[in-house]
Amino acid sequence: MFGNFLVWTSLLPVLMILSSLIPGLLIFATPEAASARRTFLNLLGVTTKLGLVVLMLIGVANGLEFRFVLPFLPGAPLVLQGDALSLQFVSLSSVLWMATTIYAIGYLQGSALRSRFFGYFSLCVSATVGLALAGNLVTFLLFYELLTLATFPLVVHRGNPESLRAGRSYLTYTLSGGSLLLMGTALLHSLTSTPDFEPGGYLMAFSGDHGFALQVAFVLMIAGVGVKAALIPLHRWLPRAMVAPAPVSALLHAVAVVKAGAFGIIRIVYDVYGINLSTELGLTLPLMWLAAATIIYGSLVALRQNDIKRRLAYSTVSQVSYIALGVAIAGPLAATGAIVHLVHQGVMKITLFFCAGSFTETVGIHKVQQMDGLGKRMPWTMAAFTIAALGMIGVPPIAGFISKWYLGLGALQQGYPEILAVLVLSSLLNAGYFLPMIYRGWFGPPPSVGWPSESFLQHRFETHWMLLFPALFTAALSILFGLFSGSVYSPLGWSEFIVSQEFEP
Amino acid sequence: MTVPFLCALTVLLTGPRLRTRHSGMLAVGGALVSCLAAWLALTQIAASGAVELLHLGGWETGLAIRLRLTPLSALLVLFTAVMHVLIGLYAAFSRQGAARDFWPLSCFLHGSLVALWLSADLFNLYITLELLGLTAVAMVALSGPSAYKPAANYLILSLTASLFYLMGVALLYGHYGALDVIVLAPLTVDDTLTRLALLLMTAGLMLKAALWPLHLWLPAAHASAPTAVSALLSGLVVKGPLFILWLLWSEVAPPALGQEVGPLLAIAGVLALLAGGWAALRTPLIKALVAYSTVAQLGYALMALGLLLTWQLPQMHIALWLFVIAHGLAKASLFLAAGEMQHTLGTRRVVSLRGATQTVPVAMFAFAVAGGSLIGLPPSGGFLAKWVLLEPLLSQPQNWPWAIGVLLGTVVAAAYVFRVVVLSFDRATITPPDTRPDRLGHWLALLPALMVWGMTLVGEQLIRLLAGGSI
Repeated sequence: MFGNFLVWTSLLPVLMILSSLIPGLLIFATPEAASARRTFLNLLGVTTKLGLVVLMLIGVANGLEFRFVLPFLPGAPLVLQGDALSLQFVSLSSVLWMATTIYAIGYLQGSALRSRFFGYFSLCVSATVGLALAGNLVTFLLFYELLTLATFPLVVHRGNPESLRAGRSYLTYTLSGGSLLLMGTALLHSLTSTPDFEPGGYLMAFSGDHGFALQVAFVLMIAGVGVKAALIPLHRWLPRAMVAPAPVSALLHAVAVVKAGAFGIIRIVYDVYGINLSTELGLTLPLMWLAAATIIYGSLVALRQNDIKRRLAYSTVSQVSYIALGVAIAGPLAATGAIVHLVHQGVMKITLFFCAGSFTETVGIHKVQQMDGLGKRMPWTMAAFTIAALGMIGVPPIAGFISKWYLGLGALQQGYPEILAVLVLSSLLNAGYFLPMIYRGWFGPPPSVGWPSESFLQHRFETHWMLLFPALFTAALSILFGLFSGSVYSPLGWSEFIVSQEFEP
Repeated sequence: MTVPFLCALTVLLTGPRLRTRHSGMLAVGGALVSCLAAWLALTQIAASGAVELLHLGGWETGLAIRLRLTPLSALLVLFTAVMHVLIGLYAAFSRQGAARDFWPLSCFLHGSLVALWLSADLFNLYITLELLGLTAVAMVALSGPSAYKPAANYLILSLTASLFYLMGVALLYGHYGALDVIVLAPLTVDDTLTRLALLLMTAGLMLKAALWPLHLWLPAAHASAPTAVSALLSGLVVKGPLFILWLLWSEVAPPALGQEVGPLLAIAGVLALLAGGWAALRTPLIKALVAYSTVAQLGYALMALGLLLTWQLPQMHIALWLFVIAHGLAKASLFLAAGEMQHTLGTRRVVSLRGATQTVPVAMFAFAVAGGSLIGLPPSGGFLAKWVLLEPLLSQPQNWPWAIGVLLGTVVAAAYVFRVVVLSFDRATITPPDTRPDRLGHWLALLPALMVWGMTLVGEQLIRLLAGGSI
């Protein structure tokens, strides 16, 4: 009985990866025309994964340990395990993956090469889940690189010169980042070999003799994951990658890639170095200021963008750095804000991208100026957009407010009032680029010559239901996460639990 | 060892009467048997941990032709046999296939390589080297009159290189009166004559292994050979001289001299990484790109060898042979995939690979997967080798410059692999295929690439085996 039980708990992490990997491989083999079979495989993967995530959540809440080990490198086995932090990320990406899959099925209807698209789409999520479940740095590195490889075909999916350019830029940045991460990981491995991630870090004992080497490794690794987290000056690939289809943007910005970078920062600072050692080595302060600079810079550039998707992209550059900022402030409240923002930014940003994609697909608009009167044509989508945008600005009770509140409190707690000023300025800038969009949508006059190109007119809703419902769903989530943040089962409650582990003496 | 030679003879004798396909089957079967024998030898030697010596002809030490089976040579014999099975399968079953004369030659090649891995006598090694070189030249010439010129150049260079090596051997024999590595090892001292002999031999071997800066013949020869031959040449043949070079410096040469020469070799390795990578980045032809990447990748091996001599670290020994194996498998896949794509698309230019993910998806996938191992993306065999190489480099801050060399090599490799991969995703201007893609051939090209990614599954065993075999 006990033996069976052991097998079950160690297999679950692997099953979670396989639940999207196997459908992904099958989708590659699916003929282009068999769209029903493809949809079935997609949904099968989604539901299986969600079921497994729920199972693991229940297990962890009941004190079970999920751990899978495979020999890989000497001193660095392949470890997959479900701890509190990884579950936060896994749940986020599985839920958002579900929404994105439905959205993508609707978005890509009738276009070519869908089997290839959904195949890589599933691989991408498998890599993300692997990355979230990675139990040590080498495993993390492995899935980090696989994620790059699985995302690249999606970025260049359209195959026109512009997307190929974006793809080159994406690869240049992420593969260089990957090599830096490899160097940092190998450097740490040569000092201490590679034990599991551990709340509070495992490097304390080495700080005396190898302080310099640890600093170098930190810089290398943060630069490596900073590429995906779009810290300046490593952010340039992100706005360029906007040429990809909207579901891919959602994937890049909310589900997988950018999140993987931010998640990597959390892991490295908290579970490899530990917050005490990071502070002692003088590493958190530069990171904090870099993040603060990225926040302001991203918002300023977003203000100047005319293209809706590019504006959203720069907004991501700014918003994701809240996570890095919260980590680097090095106090429990800010850390809570950072970890919960991982989820909150995800649900809000994905809503925005869903809506932007729907606008383009339904009425053919790309520019902010074209949004005039959109609220009359597509009220539901515009409402979802409004909720998410207000959340980004930090209007209560939407989720974004909660993260900003905790970040601000955390900054004060650690004695950085100037960071509070950064947050306020950033919120003002956010309002500066989101409010005009909302205003135009609801109060602007609809175009007298009609929309550039309208589709889905014969549908029951304002657009295809597969484009509308995911956006409504994630918008609802961002309100619910804000309203019920006091509950233990909300992302906030869970984040507080994670942080309590890290900051326990 | 005898299996491939017997096979070659059989194929040669029965060749005219059999159809090409049948001699192919015979050769692949022979390679499989040899695989099995190598596996048995490997498990046996790994279990006993001893070095087995076999005296042919029953003569005393020093007179007999002596064969030596170490864990390393057993592993290399197995590797050679596996490569022959993989490439033989491709040659036998793909539409592009191989000429009839390919089969006896490939069996000869197999036999001489196995003899090379097992020899421990500088003169025996010369003979195997010569056999290897001549077979390889003949195989390059298989692709017809257009390859005669590169083949002739290859022949001249190969003979010159052998001559250099032979002169070195003669000098050593005149000086010490022995050629057996085990006998010679304790005798050698650091004097002018030894230095001269080692210099001559090293130059010859580096020329044969196409190690930078003596690599200029390689791209022409490897790119003009038939597809299956290119795969064998790049994957296996250049590794033979490398093995002798390793044997020469790590066992025969006095260690103090090795420590002097090591850094020079390692620097040559870094330069090879950069120069080869740069050339691969610039060349307009698909096969030339793959051939230049061989020059670059051999740089890793050279670097590992150089640093092994400098520091006498066992990890470097492991890294060296992991690179050899990972590169061999990956390169086989790359050449087969490149050949298939060339054939299907009817052009040899890199730019014609636009849209290859749609026209030749499997071959392109093989190219990308094998390329991933060249870059060293985890969890491929190339990653394993690079990881082992990096570890000692990073543990001491004074060694970090070498790590930067590895980093640059990685970046360049990523650049030339993804130069091709990005093109293949083009949907705007697709090169239409000339002929219907040969699906089976494409899948067979993918096989070695999958194996190199599977290498990590036995990574720990490989490392342990090589560590046990380190001298």
